[in-house]
Amino acid sequence: MIGLERARRRWYPIAASTDLVARHVFHARLLGRELALWRADDGFANAWENRCLHRGVRLTIGINDGAELVCRYHGWRYANRTAECTYIPAHPADAPARTVCNTRYPLIERHGLLWCAETAGPSVTLPDIPDGFTLAMRPIPVAAPLAAVREALSELGPVHDGEPLPETIGEVLYLLQPADAARTVIRGLLRSRANRTTDQKADQTTDLAALLEHDERLERLRRRVETDPARRDDPVELQVAAPRVSAALAMPEARGEARAAPLRLAVAALERTADGTVLEVDLVPMPETTADEAPLPAAVPGAHIDLHLPNGLVRQYSLANAPGQTDRYRIGVLRKPDSTGGSSWLHERLRIGDVLAASVPRNGFALRRDATDTLLIAGGIGITALASMAMTLQRGGHAWRLCYLARSADRFALMDRLGPLGDKVEYLAGLTVQATQVAIARHLGAHRDARHVYLCGPTGLIDAGRKLAADLGWPDEAVHFEHFGNPAALDTAGGFQVQLARSGLSLRVPDGQTLLHALREHGVPMPSSCEQGACGTCRVTVLDGEPDHRDVCLNRAERARGDCLMSCVSRARSPSLTLDL
Amino acid sequence: MSGTGADIRKDPREACDVNAEANAGGIADAAALRLHDYELSGNGYKVRLLLSMLGLEAERIDVDFYPGAEHRQDAFLALNPLGQLPVLEHGDLVLRDSKAILVYLAGRYDAGGAWWPVQDAVRTALTVQWLAFADELTASAGQARLVEGFFHDGDVIALRARAHDRLRILERHLWFAERAGRSWLVPGDRPTLADIACFAHVALSEEGGVMREDYPATRRWCDRVGRLPGFVPMPGVFPPGPGPAECVESVEPDGS
Repeated sequence: MIGLERARRRWYPIAASTDLVARHVFHARLLGRELALWRADDGFANAWENRCLHRGVRLTIGINDGAELVCRYHGWRYANRTAECTYIPAHPADAPARTVCNTRYPLIERHGLLWCAETAGPSVTLPDIPDGFTLAMRPIPVAAPLAAVREALSELGPVHDGEPLPETIGEVLYLLQPADAARTVIRGLLRSRANRTTDQKADQTTDLAALLEHDERLERLRRRVETDPARRDDPVELQVAAPRVSAALAMPEARGEARAAPLRLAVAALERTADGTVLEVDLVPMPETTADEAPLPAAVPGAHIDLHLPNGLVRQYSLANAPGQTDRYRIGVLRKPDSTGGSSWLHERLRIGDVLAASVPRNGFALRRDATDTLLIAGGIGITALASMAMTLQRGGHAWRLCYLARSADRFALMDRLGPLGDKVEYLAGLTVQATQVAIARHLGAHRDARHVYLCGPTGLIDAGRKLAADLGWPDEAVHFEHFGNPAALDTAGGFQVQLARSGLSLRVPDGQTLLHALREHGVPMPSSCEQGACGTCRVTVLDGEPDHRDVCLNRAERARGDCLMSCVSRARSPSLTLDL
Repeated sequence: MSGTGADIRKDPREACDVNAEANAGGIADAAALRLHDYELSGNGYKVRLLLSMLGLEAERIDVDFYPGAEHRQDAFLALNPLGQLPVLEHGDLVLRDSKAILVYLAGRYDAGGAWWPVQDAVRTALTVQWLAFADELTASAGQARLVEGFFHDGDVIALRARAHDRLRILERHLWFAERAGRSWLVPGDRPTLADIACFAHVALSEEGGVMREDYPATRRWCDRVGRLPGFVPMPGVFPPGPGPAECVESVEPDGS
């Protein structure tokens, strides 16, 4: 066998295309490394390290739900294509850090086989197999090193193990999969007779007979090789470097550059509601990179992205993505009469094919999946985040309802996503303020344990919903809400002192500057998104001192605790604050 | 788990086969099914699976197999002199051997004859062939599991090798069955007792250190069995989650 380092840069067949049936997790092994292979409902074939990042349990005993792979042990969910963790049941109120991502391996589907290379560089190419070899034989695992198997096999037909193939090949071609140092899987391709004659049934019978004949031949070979007395001791099992379980698992999301926009997204589809006020936009990775190569970072339900518009504005849009959907982002943009250039630019200028810069999805509006019953109340364009939650809850088989309020019936958006959810969605159009309150109160009802409500919409709707919920006995922690923005103007009057506990820095936030900008000026990299206290991205833990909350995303209890603040708008009541930075 | 000794202390004369055969024809439907079983028994699991799939209720009498070894004590030996689980009592009938119990339950309660296809000589014969194969799995993979998990004596290396020999046979059969468009061990649209009987010790094999990595068609067949209506798991058996046909109409719009 060639050197291990070279072998790791080579494509080997590790499964047949037909092995990856729907909702199944296939167990594969290559050069000592165990892999979990699974095909999502969209047809994409994933090859991942066969261990959950949490406790190392094999993902091959997990559940393929068609869009995500769920670990059997504690239910961690990983997204199709990206392998990012999208949900941790033990932390139902938090979105997993983006750094929690399983290791993916490149996989190519060709000749009816799935080919994997541990480290595929651009120079690595698939073997040049002539057309017509489409009939994959039953794989025969042999408990012997590759060299021994190749030697025995070469008597039966050409063996492809990286070297160029002979000019002419008969009816069979053997391929070897080095599963481990002393475990080799023989995979063979036969020239299929399908469609060779007009008698389809006869061709299939011929194919089957050929498969059976070769299968018997290989079984005999396997027995001979495994019991060969001349064989020396088998080499020891290959040691694979286990992927590092990230220390960041329990840590906050890595703090990237301020308002970083690493994604380049192309507009793939544009739709408008009947009245033209809502523009639905599908954003896909740049056309140069196919979706297979560059899936988008996974979005958990409730997540939003920053879009950087060519006119220099940065705006936040919630994603209406289906669970596990990583080939595109769907946003909804409401045209605002008082637009400051964000929504009007998108409505008037955006065309299919345009490319926009965007942040990775962020989440300050995480969906719990341990509720006995979840109520979603959307006002207007607030439907985008809640549509994503509704699809997730529906897919997971949870109890939920969505109440969708809009000014008029021709304003209902995202109907392609909401339609299949049927009568779990109640559409209410053109209600008066009083009628809206009656409808919300009817949906809320009295609070029972482990019921949760999510509100997203205009400030008036959220305030009314929170007040009604409080009156009906709902505790703060069961009422989740996300504002589009902060109605209050940014106020930066008055300076204060800040101590940074981790970095040992001491700095002053002067009159006229936000805490966020003061931190950045002193070299503390801080993430931010809306910069008006609505999204929760720039949240900081407060260790000492009394914050002056100016945001709209903390609830009363969180405000009263005073243990965190939104650095983009909030300031200090006490002369000094100590932050966990 | 134990403490039910009184239930299995039965007059040996009643348990006598002759007696049972004489009375079997006359068991009233109202008579309760009583299953002497142990939660972790692979052969008991076969019966539990069929009971659940047929929608039958049976009174469970727990026999403390480990660590109590109640199956080797007089009270149980009176019921089954082989000292093996499970045992089914139905009226005067006392049945040992999971195969016999499966055949009895299917023959009596599965009106359509899908599980035990007696109308078709070939399919019946093939079902019996695979029922016997299930015993091969019990004697290899099942035995390795007893050594690993229940501290029985035995050469676990040899048992595992024997289990792999059997699994290779199963894999070849299932791989070519899949190619022919068949889902189950015995040709036909519906599963038979063969699938239930073989499933238990395949699904539990990893507890005896017998990995199923090399048997992809067998792993897919395990998913199919796990998705049958009425399927119940047991400790060590992981149900596969909903299959593509069962899931509610996809809520994902076609991306294009």
